[in-house]
Amino acid sequence: MSSDFSNLLERLVKAGVDFVIVGGFAGVVHGCTYVTQDVDICCDFSAANLLALQKALSDLDPVHRMTPGRKKLQLTEQTCGQFKNLYLDTKIGRLDCLSFIDGLGDYDQVKRASRLVEVEDIKMCVLNLDALIKAKRAMNRPRDKEAVLQLEAIKKLKNSQ
Amino acid sequence: MAAKQNKSRKTKCKSVQADPIQAAVDYGIDVSALIDNAGRSCTERIKRHQIALNTAEKLRKARKL
Repeated sequence: MSSDFSNLLERLVKAGVDFVIVGGFAGVVHGCTYVTQDVDICCDFSAANLLALQKALSDLDPVHRMTPGRKKLQLTEQTCGQFKNLYLDTKIGRLDCLSFIDGLGDYDQVKRASRLVEVEDIKMCVLNLDALIKAKRAMNRPRDKEAVLQLEAIKKLKNSQ
Repeated sequence: MAAKQNKSRKTKCKSVQADPIQAAVDYGIDVSALIDNAGRSCTERIKRHQIALNTAEKLRKARKL
């Protein structure tokens, strides 16, 4: 099945999952022109939130894509505390759930650096432009260089409008 | 004199780096595509990204034949 990131995010919003869109997909929301293969979110890693996330994805065969044998996502209230990040694959796309963002901090700090956007009448939080630039700079991988250049250019275009 | 030249070099360097549009052009980024995207809604940007991703996925699968 093809990826469908809008559907993936819509499910999370409708399930009441507390999250912020970060990473490459946040760049797309801001206007970057590259193509990204997954959606990164920073979320509250409380058991209640992770269980809500699991429920939202339950009919999409979610698996831990970086474990040997791609183990099924089977979180319980007890096991939720074991994770700092979740690297998932589903029938409609990859979803990376992060509890901490380099250059910004934990979920609360990331949430404070986010803004609401409306996508097909659904409101969701996305990392603001300045915070995204900061996070991409902190990651400092070769592929982040182009992202930073695009984001800086987008910022300039916005300011000159 | 040397200090003045140094200051001038620093100023020049700063002015080159200070234009993010030029920096993007120099890197090879198609700034016209960024300008087009700036005029679109978030929904539209995501839809266009999805189309590009689906096309890339189709091409990747096709290559395996």
